[in-house]
Amino acid sequence: MIHLYSKEVEKILLKVQKPGRYTGGELNSIIKDKDKVDVRFAFCFPDTYEIGMSHLGMKILYSQFNSYDHIWCERVFAPWTDMEGLMREKNIPLYALESGDPLTEFDFIGFTLQYELSYTNVLNMLSLAGIPLLSKDRKELNNIVVAGGTCTSNPEPLADFIDIFFIGEGEEVDLEVIELYRKCRNENKSKDEFLKLAAQIKGVYVPSLYKVDYNEDGTIKSFAPTNGAPETVEKRIIMDMDNVYYPYTFVVPLVEIVHDRAVSEIFRGCIRGCRFCQAGFLNRPVREKSKKTILEQCKKLCESTGYDEVSLSSLSSSDYADIVGLLTCLTEWSDDCGVSLSLPSLRVDGFTDDIMSKIKTVRKSGLTFAPEAGTQRLRDAINKNVREDELLKTCHVAFSGGWTNVKLYFMIGLPTETLEDVEGIAKLGQAVVNEYYRCEYRTKGKGVNVTVSASSFVPKPHTPFQWEAQDTIETILNKQKHLKESITTKKITFNYHAANTSFLEGVFARGDRKLCKVLLKAAEKGFHFDGWNDCFDFDAWMQVFEECGIDPAFYASRKRSFDEILPWDFISYGVSKEFLKAECERAYQSVTTPNCREKCSNCGAACYKGGVCVEKRQNMVH
Amino acid sequence: MKNVRIWFTKEYECKYISHLDLNRCMLRAVRRGGLPIWYTEGFNPHPFVTFPLPISLGIDAKRECMDIRIVDDTYDITQIPSAMNKYLPRGIQVFDATYPQLDPKYICFAKYSAQLSADGVEDKTLKEKILDLTKLDSVIIQKKSKAGMKDIDVLPYIKAMDFKFDNTCSFEVILPAGNTKNVALPLVIKAIENNLSLELNYSITKLDMFTEEMKQFL
Ligand code: SF4
Ligand code: SF4
Repeated sequence: MIHLYSKEVEKILLKVQKPGRYTGGELNSIIKDKDKVDVRFAFCFPDTYEIGMSHLGMKILYSQFNSYDHIWCERVFAPWTDMEGLMREKNIPLYALESGDPLTEFDFIGFTLQYELSYTNVLNMLSLAGIPLLSKDRKELNNIVVAGGTCTSNPEPLADFIDIFFIGEGEEVDLEVIELYRKCRNENKSKDEFLKLAAQIKGVYVPSLYKVDYNEDGTIKSFAPTNGAPETVEKRIIMDMDNVYYPYTFVVPLVEIVHDRAVSEIFRGCIRGCRFCQAGFLNRPVREKSKKTILEQCKKLCESTGYDEVSLSSLSSSDYADIVGLLTCLTEWSDDCGVSLSLPSLRVDGFTDDIMSKIKTVRKSGLTFAPEAGTQRLRDAINKNVREDELLKTCHVAFSGGWTNVKLYFMIGLPTETLEDVEGIAKLGQAVVNEYYRCEYRTKGKGVNVTVSASSFVPKPHTPFQWEAQDTIETILNKQKHLKESITTKKITFNYHAANTSFLEGVFARGDRKLCKVLLKAAEKGFHFDGWNDCFDFDAWMQVFEECGIDPAFYASRKRSFDEILPWDFISYGVSKEFLKAECERAYQSVTTPNCREKCSNCGAACYKGGVCVEKRQNMVH
Repeated sequence: MKNVRIWFTKEYECKYISHLDLNRCMLRAVRRGGLPIWYTEGFNPHPFVTFPLPISLGIDAKRECMDIRIVDDTYDITQIPSAMNKYLPRGIQVFDATYPQLDPKYICFAKYSAQLSADGVEDKTLKEKILDLTKLDSVIIQKKSKAGMKDIDVLPYIKAMDFKFDNTCSFEVILPAGNTKNVALPLVIKAIENNLSLELNYSITKLDMFTEEMKQFL
């Protein structure tokens, strides 16, 4: 039995684009005997195969679950529109890639939520599988729908659909819930009983056990647990990065995906508290893996997959405490066996040419900086520690070394931003261009190419900007136009994001349970792939909001007061609300806050008693 | 420096991957399998690899080949299958490595086996309908070529189908293949579909490649 997809699927595979995404059978994919396993887990990524297969979290949990004999974890991705059309036409239910079995045969259907605009894909995937969308319509103790990932930091817009949310890192809590499920099933417990018990596990949020009341103005009046569920749901966090499970092997896709390479995670969290950055606040404190562990993991992964590129993953790789030591020992090994290194999130300042030239991403795509804002004042307000003179100095060194491409990432619509700040983006781009022509040792006869990318700022939960009003679409469009006009040189390529996509992202990012009915309606209308321009239909979305009697601006464009009950207040990521408030106030005064290595600012995350919070600080300058 | 011809299968899921993806897969296995492969010289050195007769997407293949050049003449090529298979999916498996005896330009024919079916039509009936087509004067299908659309008569190829004596609609057929003349079996099937006004499901396996004198390509 080597064909795992059904005969029905086989008939449509030749009619769709890139059929290799729908077949499974990749090197290192895991096949088990379904009669010999106890729990079947369908790990669903609500986007295409190419994107989902590039996601590290999925690789980790897939391997970890499958390391247990009694669990079989399989992969499911959102079929592209051509495949979905044929599947619906021929009544083929959504199936998992390893066994080809429909999702209805699984004990758990787990989604990873990385992006608000993938919510319709979550619902669409359930609908393609023939599974009832609403949690209350799934009555049995099977097909338990769970979700983890960044977006569970505000799970409320999906509260009616998901049985269990995992808050924080999944390696431990997921397995605890799976074990509880086995126990409950053996004891013939009902789904309700199982959910009530699950809510007692740290890091588990069962939305059906909470009751929300609203004020007349639509804000939350009270948010109360029932049935003994905890008042505050605390995130789960792994403190010992050297001993936490990490896969020795990855599934190697048959078709080309976005990031087709081995990945080693070098640390979690970020020492810098950029005030707009949700990842930074959710993942505090920084916890590093040792050099020895990283090297060993890189070696094993390349050996088992055949990859000859390994990428070091983290939020800000150059902040690894001994980054030079790490790169030195890694390049020694990689040079030796023909493997190349790439570091996607690297601040290039402070590196020798020698190390820079060994990094594939730097070599290939040029230098990347994320100043995020155009003026020093605004960079101070958002606590982004990039200084213009340092940036130009690094560029100078790179230009002398033969580089001609620089990418600069910015955001527009940041709190306190003025038109002057927007112009500052163009000025900074121009300064980099000028620096090139000032550089004596630049590549002669070649021009410089500076790419300026501006995304629109979306305020996110659990950050100091969680109370802020998001710029309206109109304001963003004006700022984009202003910026475009401020750029006068042809050496700068200007890219920007669609303002209305960011608006919708903002609505769901800070939404509450009332949005469930909007999502339900959107799902009924067949919305999917909203993160893709080919599918996103803004007017259709506004129509849905209108039909539901909900004003999206209430969520995106409204400034909240500090004492409003926010939909996600019941979740704790270790960072205190007092700290977030103080940081918000400092933003308005353009006062920066030192990073965790310079000085501890007592954000609250020291409660986890580890990582950078207990590190010895070398330079006690502050 | 020596040329080496690597023989492999492309089946199951792997029949759905494009030539580009196949190329990537094989190269990864060549490199990680430690084969002393020769890199082209010049500004952007890349491993020297050619596929004598690339197979189209959707067709199982039992005997595909890929040519590489190795720089170490003492390298024992019998270790190639095990060295590479470690890094290959189950659908692509190397079963032999030889020194090429013939230049790819001598490939003239390919042999296929195929099974056809149509929803709601019995296989036996389908077979009869196809056999009836051989009584026609021609079976024309349009094919895109560099010079625009071109009419092709596939009747000789339908006549060449060697059906099994059973109740299935299965046959073997030898078709022109190679650089000078190439007839794709899915195109012939498409012509049959058009003529019978039926939607056909097919599974095709490419069995082997031959020279003009019908000697096995080695
Ligand atoms: S450096 Fe700033 S933006 Fe980047 S991950 Fe850290 S906190 Fe976030
Ligand atoms: S407690 Fe201090 S060191 Fe720890 S994460 Fe918070 S600010 Fe950083």
